[in-house]
Amino acid sequence: MDLAALAECVTSSSCLVTQTTSGLIVGMLLFLVAAGLTLIFGVLKIVNFAHGTFYMLGAYLAYSVFRVTDSYTLAVVAAGAGMGIFGIVFERALIARVYGANVLMQLLICYAVVLICDDLVKIVWGADFKAMGMPPEFQVPPLFVAGGVVPPFYILLITVALAIGGGLGLTLALTKIGKIVRAAAHNPNMVSALGINTTLLYSLVFATGAMLAGLAGGLAAPVRSLTPGMGFSILIESFIVTVIGGMGSIAGALIAAVVLGLIRSFGTIGFPMFTEGMMFLVMIIILVVKPSGLFGREIV
Amino acid sequence: MLEVQSLTKRFGGVAAMTDVSLSFESGSLTAIIGPNGAGKSTFFNLMSGAIVPDSGQVVFNGENITGLNRAAIVRRGIGRAFQVASFFPSMTVAENLMAAIAAHRGQWGDLAHSFPRQGVRTRALEVADLLGLADESDTLSAKLSHGDQKLLDIALALALDPTALLLDEPTAGMGPEERWQMIEKVQRLWAQQRLTLVFIEHDMDIVFSIASSIRVLCYGRVLAQGTPDEIRANPAVIEAYLGTPETDEPA
Amino acid sequence: MLRPSLARDIVLGILVIAILALIPALVPSKAFQDFVIRVAAMALFATSLNLLVGYTGLTSFGHGMFYGLGTYSFALLMQKTSLSLPMAFLLTLLITAATATVVGAICIRLRLIYFAFVTLAMQMLLHSIIISWVGLTGGDQGLQGGIPRRVVAGFDLGNQHTLYLASGVVLVIGLIAMRHVVASTFGTSLRMIRDNEARAAFLGIVVWRVKLAVFVLSAMFAAVGGVVTSLFVSGAYPELINWPISGDAIFAIVLGGIGSFLGPLVGTIMLTVLNDVVTRTTEYYGLALGIIILVFALGLRRGVVDFVTERLGFRPSGGVS
Repeated sequence: MDLAALAECVTSSSCLVTQTTSGLIVGMLLFLVAAGLTLIFGVLKIVNFAHGTFYMLGAYLAYSVFRVTDSYTLAVVAAGAGMGIFGIVFERALIARVYGANVLMQLLICYAVVLICDDLVKIVWGADFKAMGMPPEFQVPPLFVAGGVVPPFYILLITVALAIGGGLGLTLALTKIGKIVRAAAHNPNMVSALGINTTLLYSLVFATGAMLAGLAGGLAAPVRSLTPGMGFSILIESFIVTVIGGMGSIAGALIAAVVLGLIRSFGTIGFPMFTEGMMFLVMIIILVVKPSGLFGREIV
Repeated sequence: MLEVQSLTKRFGGVAAMTDVSLSFESGSLTAIIGPNGAGKSTFFNLMSGAIVPDSGQVVFNGENITGLNRAAIVRRGIGRAFQVASFFPSMTVAENLMAAIAAHRGQWGDLAHSFPRQGVRTRALEVADLLGLADESDTLSAKLSHGDQKLLDIALALALDPTALLLDEPTAGMGPEERWQMIEKVQRLWAQQRLTLVFIEHDMDIVFSIASSIRVLCYGRVLAQGTPDEIRANPAVIEAYLGTPETDEPA
Repeated sequence: MLRPSLARDIVLGILVIAILALIPALVPSKAFQDFVIRVAAMALFATSLNLLVGYTGLTSFGHGMFYGLGTYSFALLMQKTSLSLPMAFLLTLLITAATATVVGAICIRLRLIYFAFVTLAMQMLLHSIIISWVGLTGGDQGLQGGIPRRVVAGFDLGNQHTLYLASGVVLVIGLIAMRHVVASTFGTSLRMIRDNEARAAFLGIVVWRVKLAVFVLSAMFAAVGGVVTSLFVSGAYPELINWPISGDAIFAIVLGGIGSFLGPLVGTIMLTVLNDVVTRTTEYYGLALGIIILVFALGLRRGVVDFVTERLGFRPSGGVS
């Protein structure tokens, strides 16, 4: 515990900017993953314990596409699209069989997929760390804002993540399909009573959630080392985010993700051994004070 | 005597119950009627401690029981059955009743003895017999017919030796013939057990044929109360029922 | 008063212990003894979790915190104090009960998936504390240095064969005790709460007290499993309180069946065998285990013991089908 260092950082503009920026990119990536998780839970009432795996596969897919094409854009698009398709297959082949089943059955199926995919990654890409490297466009000196270091790539990441999040929010708020999705989250019976094809709707929502995780993986690939099992820590963190924000709430996920990102980045200065513990502590406090999370409705 | 005084309850901004004062004589058989959304189930929830009123009192045999928890109210002798039959589906009929009796006898925290303790089973079979469920005592309750499940629900309340019994639509979801069988059982039970029985019912034929007294709720207020004849002649009741056509749908 | 089924359980238990005592004489295998010790620890833990999940309907994702707390408390008491082994064991149970009372009081207010996540968060918080409190716990290196004073009443629990028998005895006693819990009126209250919490409350059960009591009770049984593990590994390690420990117990009970008392034991044996066989035959443990889990989960759609009892026409004693 080094609160003096933390206080010093918060009062120095350079440290403040640097840590905030790095907190924001952690938060934004987390937001993309958690938004998918919370969307799937909101509509399908399924806790997708395999969500981190989509993130991992997205990152590896982007890595390979980038190696072949040298295009970072293409790599990210491939990660998103690839995971969208993978999500549909996963939902149809496995998750569809456990709708309404005990949450433990869902957990078991998802965990099996996590185990299988981690090993498949080892077989295809190898067990060692992989680094995609910074795309050439971004191999430029960092910007300095108020003395703090801000790599241009971080700005891109934050912008793209916000744009995707904003697009998702607008789609949900304004379009017809968005209204159906929100209605399905509120009252599943009504939607099927209206003659809407819930099977298709569920696949679509699951694919969107998986795509978001894939995009996050692709976007993160240049700044994260790739390793089998990398999906797990982001899974746990995005669970914390969805629970704090309120399961089913996209806005809640955004706020909680940013808070968590900042805890992570400032925590490495103030309490490096206890950043994880701090995240769980925040989660427990929120759950005790408001059991349905910041923006959630109580699920009975 | 069971009575409520100036009971008021709001959910969010919506008034569910406004200044309701009613009393139920000991040993009376009273029907509560009213259009859907009149607040009948809310009224039961308030009397049985499932929800706490914003203001007003519930008084049972002279004791103010407002704000007591469900368990405490049950101990004072108010039992209730539910609109949707409420029981323990993984247990047989006898196990359901034994569980209720053991709970009522305060054995629910008992780790030392195995279940059921002495006398519990005998009493359970007696209660099952009261409602004609004796033949089904070893049937898994989840597999009972709808009507028997409603009976089991009432039996669970009865297992607690209540002096007042609140039945929320005992005939909900039943066909005409089944309804009359059910209501005959309820009436017999009331007479045998000398209960203060309050029931919610939509079927006016049933209400007027068995209730000794009727209370009419409408939009969370008391619209009328009196004997069946008085209610039949009450202009406000006629208007309320003609104004909103009676529906059979269980609210 | 001894009820007939308790007498039967005890006879059965003695029989199992007798068989366990005979096996090494017939087939001397250190690996088998290891296997039994590991199964004993894990089965106590998994069965205790099923008191919550299968019998009360409280799905905890963080039950491993009490298993881990059992290993750490016991190992610390043995290393840092001069208490005898039985005293350290009792004190471990006391520490676990106290912790579980506090944790439970916070957690049982929450329902369903929120309960699951808050218990997991509690476990991870405790894990973080253990990792960062290096001075006391050895941090991520764990508590090394072994467990001293292992001789109890002439039996040396440092001896593999003695520990093997002791684990068997502890397992049998623990299972009989838990069996008695679920057969008691308290056990019936658990099932009432699982089936229909609102109705249970209307019958006069004070639901939160029952939930808290079973939470504490199951935590103590999990800690017993932790003590066995601590003796087996001669210490305590962060992996023993990390999330996968809870995961293992959950898989054991789901594979074996949450609707049957012995489901978790069978699941534990299956998982341990699978683990040993698969790690010996392939480096792709996850791939093999994942496929096997999928086959079981999608093929049977319930635990193995539940599946068998239903096929034989018995009604499951516990869980929801």
